[in-house]
Amino acid sequence: MPKTKFFIFDCSKAENCCDKSQYNESSIREKMCMLMHLIFCKPCRNYTSKNSKLTRLIKKSNLRTCSEEEKKAWQNKIEKEMAKKES
Amino acid sequence: MPTHKLDPTKWVDKYSDYLFNYAIVRVNDREVANDLISETFLAGLNSKENFEGRATERTWLISILKRKIIDYYRKTNSIKGQAEVRINYSDSENDGDWLEEQVADAFDRTAEDEMENTELGMAILECLDQINEKHAAIFKMKTIDEADTEAVCKEFNISPSNLWVIIHRARTALAACLEKNWF
Repeated sequence: MPKTKFFIFDCSKAENCCDKSQYNESSIREKMCMLMHLIFCKPCRNYTSKNSKLTRLIKKSNLRTCSEEEKKAWQNKIEKEMAKKES
Repeated sequence: MPTHKLDPTKWVDKYSDYLFNYAIVRVNDREVANDLISETFLAGLNSKENFEGRATERTWLISILKRKIIDYYRKTNSIKGQAEVRINYSDSENDGDWLEEQVADAFDRTAEDEMENTELGMAILECLDQINEKHAAIFKMKTIDEADTEAVCKEFNISPSNLWVIIHRARTALAACLEKNWF
């Protein structure tokens, strides 16, 4: 991505702000600067639209992760079984 | 063709999320999914010798899990008795309604959507498999578990700016991968 400076934000900063916005963690000031940057920067506009699409897809997929305890319990079971086999 | 090898010590780290998401949408119960996965791992260990290396570890584990899910439904079905299917349109009360009932509702795409969403979830996890393990773990914690930045930083012992760089790389890689495999 070209590192062009537009107004206050350069591309890397705009991307960073865009990433943060996906998690609702960018401040209003940052958002304003990003929007100003987006008006002039097409690559960053593309990035933003792709990024928000990704967020939507992840939300839509309804993914879940297993908890650490569950993982530990499985790991213990596997290790026990392997030890049993070896002995 | 490269032959694949099994490494049971890494199964949990590598495949548990994938297997879990596969199971949970099919049995719809966390406890049951949990049991099925643990059975899958044990069955995998016990039939390690039968693995010929033609499929990847993940495909092989999924095929075991599929069997386990089928077994689970067989078991619950035999407890409950045979599943009943009743099609009864000779009912005099409902006379005349049946034609409308049989027409598919054009706006009801939920079943299909659900299926597509499940596949999408699996595609995302497959793509995450291809990026750096640590980055994938951080991305999962931040995005899927929706953990606070602070919590993630503490857990992985990284600075916030470090975190955002990792998230950025993971998102770019994931978007590229999904574009290739999903759309």
